[in-house]
Amino acid sequence: MLLADFGTSYCKILDTATGDGPRIVATRELDRAFRADLATGHNAARRSVRSINELTALARGGRHLINRPDFVLLDCGSRDIKFIRFQGGEVVDMGWNAECGASMGFTIELLSTYYRLDYAALPPPATGFSITCGVLGMSHIFDAVVSGASEAEAVAKFVRGIALNAHRFAHEPEELYLSGGLCANPLFVASFPCRVHPLGRFVLLEGLRATLAQEPIPAATLRGRP
Amino acid sequence: MPRRIGIVGVPPLTVIEAINRAGDIIVDLDEPQVRAAIDQTAAHIPRVYCAILRTVVLNCLHLALDQVYVDVGPGKCDCALHVAEIVADMLAVPVIRTRNQDTHAFGHPLCVSTLPLVEKFRRITKGVQSAAPYPSMEPCRPTCGFWGVPPRDFSLLALFPDTTHIFGWTRCMENKTPADLDLERVVDPAIPTVFFSQSFCAKAALAKHLAAKHPRAIAVDCDVAAGSSTRAKIEAFLELSGIEPGPGRDA
Repeated sequence: MLLADFGTSYCKILDTATGDGPRIVATRELDRAFRADLATGHNAARRSVRSINELTALARGGRHLINRPDFVLLDCGSRDIKFIRFQGGEVVDMGWNAECGASMGFTIELLSTYYRLDYAALPPPATGFSITCGVLGMSHIFDAVVSGASEAEAVAKFVRGIALNAHRFAHEPEELYLSGGLCANPLFVASFPCRVHPLGRFVLLEGLRATLAQEPIPAATLRGRP
Repeated sequence: MPRRIGIVGVPPLTVIEAINRAGDIIVDLDEPQVRAAIDQTAAHIPRVYCAILRTVVLNCLHLALDQVYVDVGPGKCDCALHVAEIVADMLAVPVIRTRNQDTHAFGHPLCVSTLPLVEKFRRITKGVQSAAPYPSMEPCRPTCGFWGVPPRDFSLLALFPDTTHIFGWTRCMENKTPADLDLERVVDPAIPTVFFSQSFCAKAALAKHLAAKHPRAIAVDCDVAAGSSTRAKIEAFLELSGIEPGPGRDA
């Protein structure tokens, strides 16, 4: 069974028939003919036999991985941010922001390449820029550099601003679980003003796995190919 | 020759009866009646404003009308009161403000019927143009609730199962008592419910408040058209409540 989380920048793919773990493929390098059996993410409906929406996958993945009745799970992707809040084992709130949280992950990756920065080597700054999205936030970096700040300092403040914005979007919990590629960015994780538990980038795949266990796909309909 | 009478909100029943008696044609200005970009209204009404009332202005820019009734009382909203000023200045025809405080309850058989949700809304909004009592209908056992006003974009209603009961102002609308706040507050705590409001609408406060008190609810808002994030939230809420969502774009 081929499961796929079609992200804007990266696709996460798991073949349940093998013992191997998930693999990550840059979305622009994925074969256009690739089809999964069960998928979530952008164009999942066109690229799979069956698809579920990302909030559903996030909630099911979170429920499977986090053994607590009450928690907030925030997913920061390349293009958008999503959160799910559980209370008493049930989803009680959720949000999906593709506008004001736009392009956060993508911009953070772009900036490290452009300025040749290693986020693991940057300490979190005391303050962050007041920004609402990756694209609009970049002007703060340029302004700060023009005003004499180093590029590294300016980008670190940008990343902290992005983390503060994401925290606000999730209704400012004291503790949150984080999923998505930004879990691997130490500066981003350390920039949240609360306790953060990074879960990595395969939470949505776990959600697909949980969906499969709940509602198996009839074998006759399977069409996935690696 | 019948006149074309525009209405905004739910004018009092006496007004509707008089229009019907005269054989005039009612045009519901709250609904999109013309194919034109809503930004054409920007010279008259702010872009960041209720999409229903922007639609009213858009319709007024394009339609030939003989008279307009705008309900501006507690059965509609303060924004309609202000938009009535704009419409009155735009049009060379009489613009009559009404304050519908009708209390005679017509019932709400469509809100609890087995019809697809989109069809329920179509009939309820069309029903504003008539003073006739409703035929009785078979109620369904609800699996889901929709609270709120009729959305500007009906396509999001296709996400819901046919067994969705309607609550909120739409129920007041069918009941022909649009100012009945007690009826507007009615919810069913036993069924998962989506509390809907138009973006920038004052009713968003009530939607959020009632959703917070409801044991299984989500509050969503939507501007001119339902975006992918609004659809995704509703779809996920239904799925996680054990309800199979519909295709979402049938309307």
